[in-house]
Amino acid sequence: MKIAARHYCFIGLAVVVVIAMLIDYRPELEVSDESRRMFEYLDSLPEGSLLLISFDHEASAMPEIRPLALALLRHAFARRHRLIGIALMAEGTGIGYGLMNQMAKEYNCEYGSDYVYLGFKPQYIAAILSMGESLPQTFPDDYTGRAWADLSMLAGVRNYGDLAGVISIADGSMVMHWVEYGKGRYGVPVSAFVAAAMVTTFDPYLASGQLTAMVGGLRGAAEYEQLIGRPGAGARAMLAQTSMHIYVVALIVIGNVVYFVGRRKGRGR
Amino acid sequence: MRRRLPQIICGLFGLVLLVLYFSSHATAKTLNLLILVEYYQIIFAFTLLVGVVSFVRVNLQSIERGQDRPYRVISLLGLAAMPVTAALWGIGGGSPFMWLFGNVQVPLQSTVFALLAFFVASASYRGFRAHSVPAAVLLVSAVLILLSRSDLGGFVSTYITPVAEWVRNNPSMSARRAILIGIGLGSLTTSLRVILGIERTWLGGESR
Repeated sequence: MKIAARHYCFIGLAVVVVIAMLIDYRPELEVSDESRRMFEYLDSLPEGSLLLISFDHEASAMPEIRPLALALLRHAFARRHRLIGIALMAEGTGIGYGLMNQMAKEYNCEYGSDYVYLGFKPQYIAAILSMGESLPQTFPDDYTGRAWADLSMLAGVRNYGDLAGVISIADGSMVMHWVEYGKGRYGVPVSAFVAAAMVTTFDPYLASGQLTAMVGGLRGAAEYEQLIGRPGAGARAMLAQTSMHIYVVALIVIGNVVYFVGRRKGRGR
Repeated sequence: MRRRLPQIICGLFGLVLLVLYFSSHATAKTLNLLILVEYYQIIFAFTLLVGVVSFVRVNLQSIERGQDRPYRVISLLGLAAMPVTAALWGIGGGSPFMWLFGNVQVPLQSTVFALLAFFVASASYRGFRAHSVPAAVLLVSAVLILLSRSDLGGFVSTYITPVAEWVRNNPSMSARRAILIGIGLGSLTTSLRVILGIERTWLGGESR
């Protein structure tokens, strides 16, 4: 097999990422205003506030979404907020359930009184709208099949009016639907933890205040971990991400040098 | 009549949902909930069924023809495995369903997604050329954003982050807002055209 230029790019990338992941380096980052805004928002809520956390992502985004979700859950459980977990994408269902149970165990939180997991609801726009009308009718049972009435934490909860806010953990455009239908129609405060690729998509909503707060990507996860004083997978992956970014910038520079040198030679002939 | 009836149903439901969205009347709320919780779920179940039937049929046809037989068989087994394990042992923590999800589906999908990084690396060498002024501006902006999401110690926060923030909050956000307003107006127009029966391409016909 003839080795082409792209194969060298692939090999270089693999080497850079593997070496970076072998080094256990957790940087001290300068925390952005965005991450601080989310931290202060969650901190400002009275202890025991009822929050709905929606796992709106697929399994493919796990390396980025997991550190974000863990940082959020750690902060929320530490503040003793009561959490309702749901998923509007099928693959987020199992992930959300696992992460909530894992964090609840770490903070000695009880299922049914400190947190519940209602599971997946298809047709996300319909689900967001119907929860605004009635949460118990949208989710008559939780993920494990227990009836709404048997979950003490949910007593008296009717709709978004009884929640302090909604936090969407998303890798796609779901946050937009939460803003348009949850915030727009029912006025529930919406915040988001999103994959880095989606940050600029939601910037206008954050600037206008339609989105209360937003944390984005691995860098956001690392910053948030620093704010809560629990360095985790986000901080651990920062060196790999930085190395990869520098590698990509170096390839862009080399590619352009080769291009311009080639063009000049072509003109000279 | 074959076209007129779906058009009437679509227009009627469009109008009803439009009214229900803005109404706070108790009857409207009940009707809204009924449509959102029951009716939409039934439609979803049927769309899922159509997808599953089509997936099975396409794979069976390929197996019969001998095309990519091992892969097709694995696809069908994968399709059957999840609902079967869920039906037999449930979906709670520690169930075979969750084991398959956590140890097969998640790593496979993460791996496929991670392959994107290799394409980005290859494209950054071969495709990102500053062959014109707009391309150069785009390239410099992309590099700034990329570096602002990295950890290069004080260097990034002092020099790069403020410039990257400016790019995000000014040119990028202006363009994003214009696109979002455009999408909103486009959606509104298309919805009205469907409700009023002007847009008929969804019926396989031409719009008026």
